[in-house]
Order: sequence, then structure tokens, then C-alpha cells
Amino acid sequence: MIKIEKINREEALRYLACNSEKAREDLAPLIDECEKELLSVLSPKFTYRYFDISFSDKKVYLKDANLVFEGNDIFSHLDSCKGAYLIAATLGSGVDRLIRKLQIENMAKAVVTDALASAAVEEVCALAENEIKSRFEKGFFTWRYAPGYGDFDINIQKDFLSLLDAQKKIGLYTSGDTMLLTPIKSVTSVMGVSDTPLPPKKRGCITCNMKDSCAFRKRGSHCGY
Amino acid sequence: MLSEREVHIVDIKKILSEKDFLILDGAMGTMLQKSGLKTGDIPELLNLTSPEIIEDIHRGYINSGADIVYANTFGANRYKLSSSGHSVEKIIGAGVNIAKNAVKKSQREAFVALDIGPIGQLLEPTGTLTFEEAYDIFKEEVIAGKDADLIVLETMTDLYEIKAAVLAAKENSDKPIICTMTFEQNGRTFSGCLPSAMALTLEGLGVDAVGVNCSLGPRELLPIVKEICEYTTLPVAVKPNAGLPDPVTNLYNVTPSEFAESASEFADVGVRILGGCCGTTPDYIKALNDILSTKKPTEREINIPSAVCSSSKVSVINQPRIIGERINPTGKKRFKEALKSGDIDYILSQAIEQANAGADILDVNVGLPDIDEKAMMVKTVKAIQSVTDLPLQIDSTIPEVLEAALRVYNGKAIVNSVNGEEKSLQTILPIVKKYGASVVGLTLDENGIPKKADDRFKIAEKIMQRAIDMGIPKRDIFIDCLTLTASAEQAGVMETVKALNRVKNELGLHTVLGVSNISFGLPNRELINSNFLQICLSHGLDLPIINPNVPSMTGAVRAYKLLANIDENAREFIDAYNNTDTAPKPTTSGTLDVSAKGLLFAVQNGLKHEGALITEKLLLTTDSMEIVDNMLIPALDKTGADFESGKIFLPQLILSAGVAQAAFEVIKSKMSKEGSSVSKGKVVLATVKGDIHDIGKNIVKVLLENYGFDVIDLGKDVDYQAVADAAVLPDVKLVGLSALMTTTLKSMEETIALVKKVKPECKIVVGGAVLTPEYAEKIGADYYAKDAKATVDIARKVYSV
Repeated sequence: MIKIEKINREEALRYLACNSEKAREDLAPLIDECEKELLSVLSPKFTYRYFDISFSDKKVYLKDANLVFEGNDIFSHLDSCKGAYLIAATLGSGVDRLIRKLQIENMAKAVVTDALASAAVEEVCALAENEIKSRFEKGFFTWRYAPGYGDFDINIQKDFLSLLDAQKKIGLYTSGDTMLLTPIKSVTSVMGVSDTPLPPKKRGCITCNMKDSCAFRKRGSHCGY
Repeated sequence: MLSEREVHIVDIKKILSEKDFLILDGAMGTMLQKSGLKTGDIPELLNLTSPEIIEDIHRGYINSGADIVYANTFGANRYKLSSSGHSVEKIIGAGVNIAKNAVKKSQREAFVALDIGPIGQLLEPTGTLTFEEAYDIFKEEVIAGKDADLIVLETMTDLYEIKAAVLAAKENSDKPIICTMTFEQNGRTFSGCLPSAMALTLEGLGVDAVGVNCSLGPRELLPIVKEICEYTTLPVAVKPNAGLPDPVTNLYNVTPSEFAESASEFADVGVRILGGCCGTTPDYIKALNDILSTKKPTEREINIPSAVCSSSKVSVINQPRIIGERINPTGKKRFKEALKSGDIDYILSQAIEQANAGADILDVNVGLPDIDEKAMMVKTVKAIQSVTDLPLQIDSTIPEVLEAALRVYNGKAIVNSVNGEEKSLQTILPIVKKYGASVVGLTLDENGIPKKADDRFKIAEKIMQRAIDMGIPKRDIFIDCLTLTASAEQAGVMETVKALNRVKNELGLHTVLGVSNISFGLPNRELINSNFLQICLSHGLDLPIINPNVPSMTGAVRAYKLLANIDENAREFIDAYNNTDTAPKPTTSGTLDVSAKGLLFAVQNGLKHEGALITEKLLLTTDSMEIVDNMLIPALDKTGADFESGKIFLPQLILSAGVAQAAFEVIKSKMSKEGSSVSKGKVVLATVKGDIHDIGKNIVKVLLENYGFDVIDLGKDVDYQAVADAAVLPDVKLVGLSALMTTTLKSMEETIALVKKVKPECKIVVGGAVLTPEYAEKIGADYYAKDAKATVDIARKVYSV
């Protein structure tokens, strides 16, 4: 069982567009209260699986699996790699319930808790990444790239989860015919691995296909990638 | 050995009376992977393409000693097979057939189970699949598997889903049912379901065995299995994994003999049905069979507590438990109005308030002459269980309403109520039995409420007998000896207490009582209520139905539990009254500033309670609309301006909105008494089809309501047509749509097109993380709102207020 004991507040404040010194101070009591309640219902879990990869026609093929990654962004993300880790992480459905309850009880707490939960799920991914790096490979890794970013088609989400057996392993599903993850506070991502050092990749807004509609950019910030 | 046979209904109880242990098979998936199944392939398709592989696996298990083999039908449901090109009927039919052939060709007697696993989608409220849809999916599987000898529901993690499956199985077949769910190391399923809650709920629904499969190895499962054994009279089934899988190789870490050794420990706690799950093979089942053949079953000491539960909370009635009475429209104008307008959030706020105040169980009554009580009850039960885990007591006089509510309730509920009338006994008790609920029995009959305690006792006895005849255990019968008002029947007060005491001591039943009626028509009702409550508690009342929000009432129960030495070391009492609230709160000056300035201060500082109090006081001297227009809205405007200039931040803006909301609540309840309304106009809000992220939309809703708009909230994942239907309502001039994902922008566009078609003059405002003003224009929206505050500004413009 993995445990998260503290949540990255800076990250949460950034989601709330509240990362100024004043906001940090003014909101501290509210955040303390929300963090405590959130931690008490958190049931963080992750799972991952390694696949050898090959390339053809600007597509990435996973060995022994019926899934192909299409799109320029994921292709260039992985193009120097021999394999990739598929990672899925979730905070569990208790967090969804808490946020639902708070929306009735105290919307301000709901908003803050929602942001804290987004930060927390990011930390669960980081834990997965650390475990992979420490346990398995002396290799060189890319950062984590998520379906739905750039032109990495979010419609692979269902097959992605099924390759990881994520329903059974961590209770993670896609919702109906959509590719939205449920429980809501969940993330999937792909991390490439190579035996040789990877060329530095441009990472930032310029290469992102979302740059024209990004909520972070609209307010002069960025998502962190 | 079995000869040619038709469908053969297995009687699990009978088998277990003849045999020491019932052996289940081991893993199917593990065996299929060994024979080359690729990840991502649909394993059930092999029923059509390679039946011989499946038959071999079954035969391997039968020959290793399995008495029951699970047909290869685990994932053969409509949803998972949708891309396969084959029907559920065909694949399940083939699967069952293969298993039957395997039995025929084997040397032993064995039974074939229709194996039903999870659908592969999350049910409401976390997911979007409805309970009713889940039922249909399972029903199709049950019917397709009609040739099997029994039905197994396994690897479930959501009690709600397995409940849908049990109902589908019971209502569409007469086969026995074995249910096993999958638990995590923390002792719960992914959805938070407790082993005890599973056992209570599923036994109530009339399954034949309950237990655990998958997830963990035998050692890790032991505490979970023990808990199940404590909460069910049914045979318990266990199918553990072969230990835990290695994260890289996916191989399991326990050998057949180790597996058999530790699995046999389950036999020592009374488990009689055993098999293997992931990682196990015929070798494991053989080892298990060998070791069990040297063992004798352990007799379980069965002493099930009286308890009700939701999926994640069990309330054991071994001490007084508070039933909150507030979800009930009787005598409450504001509540009635909420029911009529479908304002479910108001009802939910009542649920949460009582939960926070210390209720253990919530009574739910939505009976009102002019509404569709059944539909409202279903909607309310689903909504309440999505925000609180307190067990529910379903309260209605109409059997159809009770049944509909019990059906969609995720857990074991209480039915309120049956009484001694023949008609009531005949209609209510079968429903209680079918859904495995507990029941409140009112001591009245055709002749009304008897004056004397002894006569009420007799009715209690009759209700008990009839319930027991129906198969409802004593522990699930709670008797209400009925409170009469002291002002009208002073001499009757102690008759109630006396009857209650006799029921408790002589019949050994738990007692329940609505307390608040006692003081009707008297001054200082609270004093009478809490004193009467104390008297009843000390005479054996287990389930007081009270308003938990009144501190003296909840306090009376807590104090009683302390004094009666139930609350050990006064832990609960100290928890409740020592540092009740550690959260820092902005301080207020001692006296309340009943003025526009005071209200502004409260709004700016997030002082909800003060805001409501000031509004209450203001209403004594000031007109409602005057308060709204000249005090509340200017205060909100001020905080809105502070937000826009960066002086305050989103959470603070919403906190202020929360204060305004509380103030509005006060004004609304005054106006509903006067029969007038504050509405500035009706706005429809929806999170578009396919999108389930609705927090943004909900923030907009709160702000709009605080500016006096009536919001028709259609929720999330809303059909295009539902939005159009709401838009055409008179007085609706503005529709707000929210979408969070790029993938759902398309539905936003479709929704806009439909609304514009049915009501071209209706304005549409859109918002959400992925939208831009340009894109909003492109998809035909009239306005783009960058945040909730902007939406309010747009609404004020559209309605010219």
C-alpha cells in the first residue's frame, strides 16, 4: 500500500491560480483543513507495465499487445527509446465522494480539495516513476506523457487501461463511451526508456497542441510540463 | 458419476450437509495465458474458436478434485463483447456447454457455474452506468446461462453492482447463487465496501453463499474472511490468489503446497467452500483437495449482530443509535418547496448537516400529495448515498415507493414501517424479506393505537410472529411503541415507555421511537423532548428518531451512553465535546451588527452563521427584496470586484458566496411561507453529454443563485434533448453549458445546435477549461465566460437585472 502524507501545495495553488504570496497566506487555514480531510479518504494506487516498442509509419507499436500509439507528439516523445512504461494512477473513489459532499456542504472547500487532489494524483504518478527508476532500470527515461496531451489521442484510454488490467489492479475505468477516467482523480501516462542518454526534448508550451486553448496560458501561467 | 442430465439445480446447503467441503476450481485466465492468450484479447471468444482448450482446462480442474467449475463466461457481457461481433447469448451458451461436456467426459461428479464478473464500467455515482442499466446487462447474462447448474458472481468490487447482479439472477432464474467480492489489503474493496456490509446486504438478498476471491493471497485474506464469518449465517466461500504477483513477471509467489497449507487455515475458521483464483492451476486445486480431505470442517459459532449498513459503513444496533428525522416534508414549507421544484441539493444539505451533527442512520421521507413520490424517492436515495455513507431508513406509506427505494439502495436499509393491520402485514413484509431489510413495526392496527401498554405489546408480538413466519430474523425487527403527545394524552406517556420496556425485555427485540411528537403543543419543547428521550433510553430505547441538529437531543444520547458505560472511557463523548472545532475561524465582535454593513462584513469574511443570523434579524424590519437588492447583491459585487482585482482569490470568493447562500436560504424560507419568490430569472445549467467533471458548473450555480437567479441544474453528462427541453420552458432566457475536455466540445456544439433549433432566441453561455472566446463563437454560443463571476455578469445582462 502506498501512502501520501503531504500534498504539494504550490501545485494546488497553481491550479487555483492562487500562487501569489498573499494567496498562500490567506488561504493557508482553509488549505490545512481541506488537506486533512482529503488525506483521510485518500486511497492512492498505481500500476504500470513495460513494453518493448518499435516504430513504423510514424506510429509506435507495443510488442505483444493490441495497441498502437498514433500522433506526432507521442512518436517524438518515444522515438529514441527501446521501450515504454505505461503507467496509471488513481486516488480512488473516496475522493470523488468527498468532493461531491463538499460541493453541497461548502463549495470553497470543494474547490480547494479538488485542486489538492489534482496535485496528489500527480504525486502518485511520481511515486510510480520513482519505483520504476529505482527497481528496474539503469536506463535513461523520458518524462511522463499523457493521452489527451498534444495530439496523443485520448481515445486509446480504454485499451490503455485494459493492457494494464487497471480495473482489476487499481479500480480504474473509463466512463461509458467517453474516454474520461473514473474515479475522476486519476491519470495515465507513458514514460519511455532507453539504454543510451536521450537527446534533450523541448518541453513546454510551444510543442503543445493545446497551447491555443490552455487555461493556464489564458492566465499567463503554464501546466508545468 | 453423473449420467446424462438436464439442468440440475444444486442445493448448496444439502451438499454441505453431505460433504465436508465443496471444492471450487482454480484460475481460468492463468491457464489461458499459459496457452498463449494475448493481453487485450477477449478470453470468452475462445469458447467459439478453441473450445477444446477451454474444455481441457475444465477437465484438469475436475480431475484435480473441483466439485464446481466456472464456465468461461466471466466477461461475456454486452459491454465487453460490443466489439467482438458475437452475442452474449451465443458466447455464454457455448461457454456453459463446453463446461458441461468437460463434466460429462470426466470421471467425477461436478457442477457447472455460470460465471459472471464485473461489467467493466463504474456504476453511478462514481461512474455513469445506472443501476437499472447494470441490472439489464446482468439479466441478459443470466438468461443466456440458463443451462448452468448455479450462478457465481465474482471479483466484484462494488456492492451496488453485485446487488444489481443478484437481483437479475434471482428474478430471472431459480438457481443458487455464490457471491464473492474482491478486497484490498486495507480490508475494503476499491469502492470502499466492507466485508461486513457485503455479508449483511447479500445475505439479506437471499444468496446461497458469500465470500472472497482474487486480490490477495490466502494469508492476507484471513482477517477479511473472519469478518465475513461474523456477519453471515451463510456458508462462506474463499478463492484466493496464489499469493501476490511479481510486478515485472506477473508470476505469483506461492507454491501449490504452500497455497493449500494456508488455504486450509480458512477451514479452521469455518469456511466450507474453497478454490483458487489468479495464479492457481490444477496442481493447486489438487494440493488443496488433498489437504482438505484430511480435515474436518470447523463448526462456526453463528451469532450475527443486529445491524444495518451502507456499502462502506455498518451500524450495529448494540447501543443507542440516532436516526435523523429531518428528511421529511411534514410541517416544513421550505422542504416541500424543494420537493416540488426538484431541488435535490437542499435535501442533500439536510442529510449532510445531520451526519455532521451525529446521526447514525437517516430517515428518508419524501411523501407529498402532488409529486411522484416513487420517482422522487429513487432520485433522493441515489443522491443521498452519493454524499454520505450513513445507512438509510426508507419511510413511506406506499409499498411501491418502499420497494423502489430498497431496490436502488446500496446496502441494508430499514423499512419504516409495517403495522399490525392485516393489509400492512401482507403487503410490507414480503418486500422487507425480498430486499433483506430491517423493519420498523408500529404497534397499531385496524382499531388504531391501543391506549394500554399491554395491548401495544400484543400487537408487537403479532408483528414479530408474522415477520418470523415470513423468514425475517428477529434481529431485523424493530418495534415502535408510538409516542402520543403529552399535552393531549398525558397519562399515555408512561404507557409508551412501559410497552417499549416489555418489548425489549420480553420479546428481545430492538426498539425504535419517534421522540419529538411528545412535546407537540407545549412550550419549551426541547426541554420535554430531551427529558422524554432520557426516560426512554433508560427503559431500553435503541433507535431514537430525533432531530440530531438540536444539541440537547444528540447530547442526551451521548450522555446516556457515557453514564450507562456503553461509551467506553467516554471516548465518544470527549471526541464530541472537547475541541469540537479545531479549524481556525475569523473572529467576530460579540454583538451582531444588524445592518447592510454587518451583512457585508459577514459576506467578506466568510461568516456563514452570522450572515444567516443578520438576515433573520433584518427580515423583522426590512423587506426581502430590499435586503437582496440593496444589501446582499452589493456585498457580492464588492467581493466580486475584489476577486477581479486580485485582492481575494477564488476560494474566498466562493466562501463569500456560501454566506450569501445561507442568507438567501433564510429569505427563501420566509418567502415560501408568504408564498412569494425572489427570482431574478431562470437559468438552465448543464455539464454536456459525455463530461462528468461538473465542479465548474456547480460553482457557477452557487454564484447565480446568490444573485437571485433560479437555476435549473440538469447535472452532468446531460443529453442534448434534456437541455433543449429545459430551454423551452417559459422564462428561460439563458442556458449555460460547461465542458472540461476537448473530447466533449463536440457534444457542446451539438447541444447548442439543438437548443438554437427549438428556441432560437434563447441565449447560450459556455465555459470550461478548454474553451476560448473564438471557439465559443465558432460553435454558436452567444457568450463565453472565463469564470463563474463572468457568467453572473452575463446573466445579469441577459435578464437586465
